[in-house]
Amino acid sequence: MVESSSSCAIETINLNMTYRSGKVDVPALQNVNVSVERGEFVAVVGPSGCGKSTLLHLLGGLMQPTGGSVILDGIDISKLTDSERTAIRRKKIGYVFQRFNLLPTLSAKGNIELAKKIQGNGYLSPNGVDQILDMLGLANKINFRPAELSGGEQQRVAIARAVINRPAIILADEPTGSLDSRNSRIVLQVLRDLNEKLSQTIVMITHDPEAASTANRVIEMKDGQIIDAPSVLYCEPDFENSVGNP
Amino acid sequence: MENLIAANIRSRPTRTFISILAVALGVTLMLVIGGITNGWLNEYLGRTIAVGADFIFQPPGSSVFYAFSDAELPIKLANKLQEVPGISAVTPVLSKFSMAQFGLIFGIDLESYSKFPGRLHIISGKPSLKDDEVIVDQLYAETKKLSPGMPLTILNHNFTVTAICRPGSVVRVFAPLKTLQKLIGTPDRVTIMFMKAEPKSNVDAVFHELRRRFPDNSIIQASDPNLLLADTRLPGLKEFRITLIIVSMLLSFMVILLAMYTTIFERTREIGILKSLGASRRFIVGMILKESAIICCLGALLGIGISEIARKIIVTKFPTQPVAIGLNDLILGLILGLLAGTMGAIYPAYKAARMDPVRALTYE
Repeated sequence: MVESSSSCAIETINLNMTYRSGKVDVPALQNVNVSVERGEFVAVVGPSGCGKSTLLHLLGGLMQPTGGSVILDGIDISKLTDSERTAIRRKKIGYVFQRFNLLPTLSAKGNIELAKKIQGNGYLSPNGVDQILDMLGLANKINFRPAELSGGEQQRVAIARAVINRPAIILADEPTGSLDSRNSRIVLQVLRDLNEKLSQTIVMITHDPEAASTANRVIEMKDGQIIDAPSVLYCEPDFENSVGNP
Repeated sequence: MENLIAANIRSRPTRTFISILAVALGVTLMLVIGGITNGWLNEYLGRTIAVGADFIFQPPGSSVFYAFSDAELPIKLANKLQEVPGISAVTPVLSKFSMAQFGLIFGIDLESYSKFPGRLHIISGKPSLKDDEVIVDQLYAETKKLSPGMPLTILNHNFTVTAICRPGSVVRVFAPLKTLQKLIGTPDRVTIMFMKAEPKSNVDAVFHELRRRFPDNSIIQASDPNLLLADTRLPGLKEFRITLIIVSMLLSFMVILLAMYTTIFERTREIGILKSLGASRRFIVGMILKESAIICCLGALLGIGISEIARKIIVTKFPTQPVAIGLNDLILGLILGLLAGTMGAIYPAYKAARMDPVRALTYE
């Protein structure tokens, strides 16, 4: 493993990803160079098929790039084995998905505890689960199964699951893509709060300009490449009052 | 992880129930059929020993299971055996398996048979075996509701019950030797000869003398249960037991394999979620194996319970049918049920652990 003392939470260097479709090579990412500082909240925007999800999967070590490097918290994860990337993911990454991806058989609390158990290799340290559920306004829903929760509540449980182990970075893949505008605002405010109050680094993929405006910086992609220089957005929407009151 | 396993088991009650039932069926099959086999064997050997003979003399290549043997020994051989030094008593016996009675019938000469320690202990009626008379044991009489003086049809021949003897004799029905020979169509032929050594004789020396004089015949030292149980004298028993175990294990193995394989496809997305959370391959394999182990354990315990119920029903409905299921058999059933199911889950678990997380997460 290569470690650096960079202030970057995550960075890609000439990142390439090519899929093989039959006998045809389909490039999904071409020489992508992205750098996200610790404590930053970055939105990645772009049209469908531009490579956003591929980038997110590579950042989280779910896939291995065909070229270039991904440096996560000082470690080049692109050269690691599947098992090593899994271990890194366990310790340093929190995922939030568009479709929430909660385990349907477990309660809200069970889903969050599971993340703690996996992080602890099967050992559960229950500290923090109730607190995080309380913080996200879900204290009275801890024993509810995903099917018994609204979309916004499910996504807040998914966020709680992502942050419970204090990961170096949260990767959010269209976190508001399946939500109505009210619940979208609540979820975005939760992410914003995590970033501001806990200095949580967040990389979020989105189609939604309003969601993108929540971030400190927006990266635009097209045809597998970064087409826009980093731009700083100053957006302070007043969502505080809506958190915990779906 | 235990919560996740319990939740998975609870969330698919039909699949879980059918899997448990299938494992239980395999274990029940093994325990009950094995128990019946063992019961027969134990009773058979116990009754043979109960005759009190020192030696059993049979035609060449015979088994201790008289039912499998034909009437091949000339009855005159009894006189030659009587001449062997150290032999005090010889009684010829013709055995016949009756499908209608589902048991053995012994054709005996009551006088010579009564010289053996395991002679018939009459508890009611008079000890007589002439022409069309039969003596049955108490259990048989209770099952068939017989008492002395009542008619009994065996091998399409009408007999009269003359006496009821104490249970524990070598068989449950005794007929006159000559009558049985006529019925079977083997006059002057018998199946076996029981022999008793003189009280102060050297049994081993007598045995060797018998072997020397009759080298082609099968001679068993009946007083030694280990010799009676020797596999070479019980043709196919070992193979039968192995086949029974394999069939039972295969049943559990295939059901669990199918159930867990289907489960893996059902849970593809969930496995993707676990992988995105950083669950290692070991974690996922452990989850699948633990789940199948719980199902198999419950199945094996249910199988043990069903076997015990089946045993009680069999011995109540058919008192002459012994079913021997010992603690060792129960432990074996539990272990094999657990082992077969766990083996069945290995491939699905391996497949789940090797799933590509991105594909799994986008699986519809």
